[in-house]
Amino acid sequence: MTRRTDTRPVVYVLVWLALLVLLAVTVGTAYLSLGWATTPLNLTISVTQAALVMLFSMHLRFAHPLLKIIAAIGFFGITILIVLSLFDVMTR
Amino acid sequence: MNSAVIASHEDYLSSGWSWRSWLTTLDHKRIGILYTIAITLLFGIGGAAAAMIRLDLLTPHSQLVSIETYNKLFTMHGVIMVWFFLIPSIPATLGNFLVPMMVGARDLAFPRLNLASWYLFVAGGLLTIYALLTGGVDTGWTFYAPYSTTFSSSRVFAVASGVFIAGFSSILTGLNFVVTIHEMRAPGMTWFRLPLFIWSMYATSLILVLATPVLAMTLMLMAIERTFGIGVFDPALGGDPLLFQHLFWFYSHPAVYIMIVPAMGVASEIISCFCRKPVFGYRFMAYAILAIAAFGFLVWGHHMFVSGQSAYAGTVFSLLTFLVAVPSAIKVFNWTATLYKGQVSFQAPMLYALGFIGLFTIGGLTGLFLASMGLDIHLHDTYFVVAHFHYIMVGAAVMGFFGGIHFWWPKITGRMYPEGWARFSAILTFVGFNLTFFPQFILGYLGMPRRYPEYPPEFQVWNVLSSAGSSLLVFGYVLPLLYLMWSLRYGERAPANPWNAKGLEWETDSPPPSENFHSTPLVTEEAYAYARAEPPHG
Amino acid sequence: MADGVAVHAPQFDDAEQQRTASNLGIWIFLATEILFFGALFAAYAITRVRFAEAFAAGSRLTNLPLAGVNTAVLLTSSLTMALGVHAARHGARRALIGWLGMTIALGCAFLAIKAVEYRFDYLEHLVPVLDFHYAGPQADQVELFFYLYFFITGVHALHVIIGIGCIATIAVMASRHTFSPAYFTPVDVTGLYWHLVDVIWLFVFPILYLISRS
Repeated sequence: MTRRTDTRPVVYVLVWLALLVLLAVTVGTAYLSLGWATTPLNLTISVTQAALVMLFSMHLRFAHPLLKIIAAIGFFGITILIVLSLFDVMTR
Repeated sequence: MNSAVIASHEDYLSSGWSWRSWLTTLDHKRIGILYTIAITLLFGIGGAAAAMIRLDLLTPHSQLVSIETYNKLFTMHGVIMVWFFLIPSIPATLGNFLVPMMVGARDLAFPRLNLASWYLFVAGGLLTIYALLTGGVDTGWTFYAPYSTTFSSSRVFAVASGVFIAGFSSILTGLNFVVTIHEMRAPGMTWFRLPLFIWSMYATSLILVLATPVLAMTLMLMAIERTFGIGVFDPALGGDPLLFQHLFWFYSHPAVYIMIVPAMGVASEIISCFCRKPVFGYRFMAYAILAIAAFGFLVWGHHMFVSGQSAYAGTVFSLLTFLVAVPSAIKVFNWTATLYKGQVSFQAPMLYALGFIGLFTIGGLTGLFLASMGLDIHLHDTYFVVAHFHYIMVGAAVMGFFGGIHFWWPKITGRMYPEGWARFSAILTFVGFNLTFFPQFILGYLGMPRRYPEYPPEFQVWNVLSSAGSSLLVFGYVLPLLYLMWSLRYGERAPANPWNAKGLEWETDSPPPSENFHSTPLVTEEAYAYARAEPPHG
Repeated sequence: MADGVAVHAPQFDDAEQQRTASNLGIWIFLATEILFFGALFAAYAITRVRFAEAFAAGSRLTNLPLAGVNTAVLLTSSLTMALGVHAARHGARRALIGWLGMTIALGCAFLAIKAVEYRFDYLEHLVPVLDFHYAGPQADQVELFFYLYFFITGVHALHVIIGIGCIATIAVMASRHTFSPAYFTPVDVTGLYWHLVDVIWLFVFPILYLISRS
């Protein structure tokens, strides 16, 4: 369950730079006239950023599969709540 | 094997008698007892509210209490029984006591969090009781918006805060159990050698941990909206009352599985012991428990069929609800198969467990009636629903709880309870329960709405039967309280394993030493490795 | 707890089991936080689907420059926290305290910028209940947007404050030589919490500030 491999500091810095780049991209897309596609695109970028933070900064990439499952279940739970409720709202 | 063992001076009860040793304990066994005391008191308050309700319903017109008071009574009954009795009941009492013992550990993973969870529970309970007694709440335990957020002038904020605080208690308990079961099993205790009670605690803990945060946020949204007069549930601003119901039931449906799954675990332990054979289909039972927990998160919309939810969403939820009945049914079949050709004996725990199976089956089947949208149109918000959930929550869950308390009483206290009185109470409870709640199926079918203090005169005979039954139930619950207390002082001293049961908790003293085992157990046999030869004593 | 000595609490068999259990425990807690915010996101999603234009209009009135800077600040605090945990793992006590101090500073900067942002919102009459005023169409629904805006960012800010408190506590413990390469679990656990607060903001930011800026 504990990390077998340490992460070198330069990796954290690279992740940070990647996150900042993605931040710039997501802000930039809001200024393009993408209409309804803006939000899915922004959320995709958010998911990517979240994955970077969780895999590297939160050491999930070395972690026991159980921890990855727990993280996934959290997001899965929200997804069920939002998807099924939205399904109701949008089919009334 | 059954020589009487006098409890040594080392056991967890005699290791300290002061208030301080109890109120600052880190011993999971003592914390389990602290919880038992708290929920017993709360059960009494919730039960008193129920008694008032049943008395008032003896006559078609509400002659005992005012209509406003009636609303507060059923709300108080629901709030206390759901959050301050049923949700903690088996997990926080038997679970706290047994989880470390059954896996072969010295304590739970985080003893300080365990004690904190008890204090949070007590704090939430005190706040809720205070609010219920000084003004009360009249929204029903379901706090539906916009009544709760806009129109009710009762102590919604205070009660919601009390429940919010108690929710953290649930989360900490669940977290502790999951970590303990994953990380602290004794050598040789593989997952599929675990008692099914542990599987049930594991599944319950998953629900506790995942569902309760949603309730916390829902209560917060409701309370803020109520306080500031603006919010997303208010139709006047374009908000959606149904949004509240989605959020509320996303927690509250899995919550009912928090209430029943532990009793299923207890039933498996008792039935295998008193049939002298392993539970039939152990792996299916374990998978079924997990399936119930998982599927339980997908069905919440069946509480909203007639609330304005779209028919398409309703259909999806209806289908999913039928699916969740399957693992439950598998469990009933497997308990029955366990009984088949078993050496069955009928001590009190077994009477409770058998009652559990029957009442759970009726409750579960009537849930299917309600899961059918067409039927639900007629049955929603009638006494049929009330009967359905009481069959599960009282008939099954509470009988499971009492069965477990009796089964493990010798282990927890080092004393035997009086068997004759216990069997009598079990039967009295079973009869009283059915007399109370079966007429309610009929009432619901005939159209009597729930939460109403008044009804047409032709319904009176069923209401009178139901109230009569409830008076039997009172005795059925008070008697164990009395004889169990009596047994603490005068009960026969219990040996380590009075039932000749399988399980690590039975391989240590009654009551156990503070560290549970004198040396770390080594597990070499499968769960429920009963030999047919020796019957249970006691 | 002394330098270099791997101690463990009595319920555990060894330090390794304690470390593993603590790690599992914090991740379960993080899952509860994800669901806690998830309910809020669900309330947002359902209300927004019903009032897409009002939410877009409201979003345009939010202060994107400040929030963008704030996001960068929080991401940087995540970096400094990760470097702090790394220092703890290698027993570099002074570096650890330094990185924790920077994280606290950045966290406080986040809150300060947020306070400035709230003040601008107040001056522009965008605070519900206080003196909300919106001249355009669907004013009630724009007010609902801002209700959610303040609710979500407020709950998040509360978590930031708690996080800063935890990090400060860890820093004090570090100054007392509590941690060593064999025992730095509280640092690790606090780091995970802080990163999650960051992750949550990464979702909060686009849904409130970036609905439609074109």
